[in-house]
Amino acid sequence: MERILSDMDYDETGFMKEIKDDFRERLASMGIRKGKKIRMITRQPIKGPVVVEVDGCSTSLGLELAKQIIVKVDQ
Amino acid sequence: MKVLLMGHPNVGKSVVFNRLTGVDVVTSNYPGTTVEYSEGSMLVEGQEVTIIDVPGTFSLNFRDKAEEVAVNMLDKEKDAIVISVLDSSKMERGLYLALEIMEHGYPLVLALNMWDMAKHKGIKIDVDRLGEILGIPVIPTMATSGEGISELISSLKVAKPVNVKDVRERLGITT
Repeated sequence: MERILSDMDYDETGFMKEIKDDFRERLASMGIRKGKKIRMITRQPIKGPVVVEVDGCSTSLGLELAKQIIVKVDQ
Repeated sequence: MKVLLMGHPNVGKSVVFNRLTGVDVVTSNYPGTTVEYSEGSMLVEGQEVTIIDVPGTFSLNFRDKAEEVAVNMLDKEKDAIVISVLDSSKMERGLYLALEIMEHGYPLVLALNMWDMAKHKGIKIDVDRLGEILGIPVIPTMATSGEGISELISSLKVAKPVNVKDVRERLGITT
């Protein structure tokens, strides 16, 4: 099943399947790129940022950035 | 000689800076912003070397004021040697920036900082192999305890620009 990163549930894991072109470089500099495993840690309320874990490090992403990433979530 | 310390925010650049310069620290405001950078100096074999602690940046495509300062500073110091400081437990993103700096033609030395943390997390890094692939000095450091700092200083004199194409070749990337 595919999901937009910002819609993922807490502790849900998956592999990043697609990142919208305009945001690819910016996210790559944060260690976030296609094919990598990702885990949702928290989603802050009121359109706040999401915090994800990639490579064992937590990274926070603004909601707009999180909407650019499509994740194939693990069942 | 001028040396720029560059890397992501919170990788320990300023700790490395303090180790290199001792107490001889000058802080100044970069015009037009509130972002501060520090400048200091040290002696390497009788030669005075200026060290600049550049604000943290994720990449050279700046997206905010602090990053813009960092990128402009790099652009201004065409003859500088760059010490790319990275968090050893966050290698990938650190290397992304290091390769960007390399692409801009600067001689580069890699400081794998927070080496103890990476070890603690069970991360193993083949330092020699990484140095071979990148063609630059790669030095594990623990800036808080001072480990690796003298090696970092002596590596400055062998730093030279590397063509990223050669790095790709060594990795067998053809596309």
